[in-house]
Amino acid sequence: MTAVLQILFDALSLGSLYALGALGIALIFGVMRLVNFAHGDYISFSIFALLWPTTAATTILFLGQVPPAVLIPFVILIGAGVSVLSEILVFRRLRDANPATLMIASFALGFVIKNLLLMLYSSRPKSLSILPGLAQQVEIGGARIPLLQVVTVAATIVILIALTAFLKRTRFGLEMRAAAQDFTMARMLGVRANRVILLAFAISGMLAGAIGLAIVVQTGTADINMGLSVMLVAFIATVIGGLGSLYGAVVAGFLIGGASVLMQVILPLDARPFRDAFVYALVIVVLLWRPQGLFAPRTAKQRV
Amino acid sequence: MTRAPSIMAKTVSTPLILIAILAAIAIAVDAFGSGPLARTVIEMLIRVVLVVGIWIFVGNSGIISFGHVGFMCLGAYAAAWLTIPPMLKQISLRGLPEFLLENQFPFWPSALAASLLPAVFALILGPVLMRLAGIAASIATFAMLAVINTVYSNWSTVTGGTSSVIGIPTVTDVWIALGMASGAIVIAWLYAISRSGLALRAARDEAIAAQASGVNIERERLIAFVLSAFVCGAAGVLYAHFLGIITPDAFFLTATFVALSMLVVGGINSLSGAVIGVVFISVIIQLLRWMERGVQVGETTVAIPSGAQEIAIGLVMIVILIFRPAGLLGNREIVWTSRREPRVARTQPAE
Amino acid sequence: MTLLAVEGLSVRYGQLTALRDASLMLDEGETLFVTGPNGAGKSTLMKAIAGVVRPAAGCIRLGGRDITGEAPETIARLGFSMVPEGRQVFGELTVDENLRLGAGMRGDRAGAARDLESVFESFPMLKERRDGAAGLLSGGQQQMLVIARALMTRPRLVAIDEPSLGLAPLVIDQVYELLLRLRAERRLTLLVVEQSSTRATMTGGRMMLLRSGRVVLEGDARELNASGAVERAYFGYSDAEEPA
Repeated sequence: MTAVLQILFDALSLGSLYALGALGIALIFGVMRLVNFAHGDYISFSIFALLWPTTAATTILFLGQVPPAVLIPFVILIGAGVSVLSEILVFRRLRDANPATLMIASFALGFVIKNLLLMLYSSRPKSLSILPGLAQQVEIGGARIPLLQVVTVAATIVILIALTAFLKRTRFGLEMRAAAQDFTMARMLGVRANRVILLAFAISGMLAGAIGLAIVVQTGTADINMGLSVMLVAFIATVIGGLGSLYGAVVAGFLIGGASVLMQVILPLDARPFRDAFVYALVIVVLLWRPQGLFAPRTAKQRV
Repeated sequence: MTRAPSIMAKTVSTPLILIAILAAIAIAVDAFGSGPLARTVIEMLIRVVLVVGIWIFVGNSGIISFGHVGFMCLGAYAAAWLTIPPMLKQISLRGLPEFLLENQFPFWPSALAASLLPAVFALILGPVLMRLAGIAASIATFAMLAVINTVYSNWSTVTGGTSSVIGIPTVTDVWIALGMASGAIVIAWLYAISRSGLALRAARDEAIAAQASGVNIERERLIAFVLSAFVCGAAGVLYAHFLGIITPDAFFLTATFVALSMLVVGGINSLSGAVIGVVFISVIIQLLRWMERGVQVGETTVAIPSGAQEIAIGLVMIVILIFRPAGLLGNREIVWTSRREPRVARTQPAE
Repeated sequence: MTLLAVEGLSVRYGQLTALRDASLMLDEGETLFVTGPNGAGKSTLMKAIAGVVRPAAGCIRLGGRDITGEAPETIARLGFSMVPEGRQVFGELTVDENLRLGAGMRGDRAGAARDLESVFESFPMLKERRDGAAGLLSGGQQQMLVIARALMTRPRLVAIDEPSLGLAPLVIDQVYELLLRLRAERRLTLLVVEQSSTRATMTGGRMMLLRSGRVVLEGDARELNASGAVERAYFGYSDAEEPA
């Protein structure tokens, strides 16, 4: 029982990161058909913004030891900022480009951000202890669960509820959902394209910042490539969740997280190093079974 | 194939001009260039093989593939298995089958066999992958790359895991690279004008119409997929014999995106775009390298800060995509007209 | 007063010219039918006015203001409400949300709420289904919804692209009945695209006929139809080479 609980929390906390990442990618894909490969670099950027630029091994916090109440919003705002800036400087100028061009442009942008960080901070991972209070363990149902996992899962649930409320209850949310289904029609009803897209980038960037926080608290290091693996899985989750479906992206994120943790447990010892190979093979199988994704919007484009 | 001769005659100037451009660069660098520059040119020619290989599938089918660098990986490791001296293999790659452990094969037969391995792999996996279209297909090719990378990073007795495989004979020189690049261009051109290539491009532009007129999209895609896997495998072979040392991570995301970027910057829909994209980005990289080392301006040496090179490449790519979203060449091929002047011609309508 | 003036409008898709030198005028309170065979450029004309496609040449004025090349949302905010071909409801949104989306660009919440009530009065069926997904409505109901949604924007001009496409004849009758009633109640200015001229003749109003991207005929719908000019123009006979 305790082992099951531990596995469950492992799966949920890993799935949380994937789900938030997938949501960030799906939000932008929904409104402008951009698969944003720079997303992982937003994650790194929002964390490195905490550090004083130095190529030495020492880590100097930009803001010193600020309380979490300042630190958390700061990271999230940085994420939103870099995301919004990339829309204004790059993607807005590529409105008529095809998805392949957009995708490559986002890759090029990520490349620029990554190398900017490399130039300023070198490739050495920086040890970084923020929110050290989360390092302890708590007892839940007899199992000892890292507090961080509990907080990650709880924070993800709060974020998902808040985002759902935003999308369902507010004017902006309504416009974003409409734009994700049929952008042209939404615009013909007066929905301002640039504003909706900018908002999608802002939320997506905030999610990136939140993921960055979770990773850095968990690993205790800031690494230039820290966002990469989450971004790749999130990207896959977006597709198997059904492109255009935010709900599907979240569920698929949790599913992949769950599948990864589960495989780690059930695969024979010799095969464990190959876990990711099995996960990705599973992705191919899912795509063959449901090329449109698990939760492809059914009614979106249906015509009578 | 009755119409092939006329198409051949009409389009043969494209591969010839592209090969001539590459040959001119190779000859010029061989005659006047330094050692490091020669290495840059070899790298460029290897990239030409890879990007042309990717183009055979992506350019004709319209499906963005993230997986082709995986074929390069298969080719490179196969070349290593075939050509590393048995003594070394018996220490570092003990899990290899007997006949590989005991023997060392010469370059050309090994190169052919090593390129065939990814082609066979593509032939096995292709029938499954080719059923997908659009972004689902792209993700599936990425998953394929991830599977290859995971397996090669962890199958230590056969691939050496994440540590480098060393001892591959470094036989790749400018002329071998030029020859393979030329071969890749000719293969790509022949495929593009073949029945299969024409049918696949028709299906790319008008999927429903092409299917209605009897094009078996999955089969044509598979042909392109296998052929492009072969050429990408050859790029891997060249690469292994160029550096003499390989790791799985050399064939993962960075390589994938650099190759795709070159393709998109050149223009994804034309063979000329694939080749020119590689040449263009390579030239810019080289210029920036020089600038990083410092350029003499009058009395002083001006240098851009180290690390700025990569940033500049990214920015250059973004600027090109903003101003030329369809790539430097758009949908066009470089052709030689009867008026004996190189001209850029439209091979297909814009839509 | 002239509400919409289109002068010398041309639209090209790549090398294909979809619309060539088209002009039209529409006065406030007037109804204009644009008819013509498949591929004549009717939808392209609508999309160009709505700002969805960029014209290669020509000028579009709405209420005296030049809107050529403006963004769709800007044009919508100036009072041009477009109901595109194929009943583009937001299928995953509820009926209520679809309607509220239409009211979004107006500042006054109270007015929007009042309009919503009056729309529900005109369309009792929509009120019944207001919390259901719009994608689950029938074709006719969806057509009603998109018209109602267009009205929620308080438009000066409603443009409807093929309202009868894919609907049963009885349902088409209902749609037109509704349009005519709304026109009378709200003194709407209507721009309606239809393939056939039948509806134009039945409804009455001005009509123009497009063929191969050009305006080939214009005048009072009933008069044109009675004279047989529509039929000849539709099938591409000029007056000189009348069929035997």
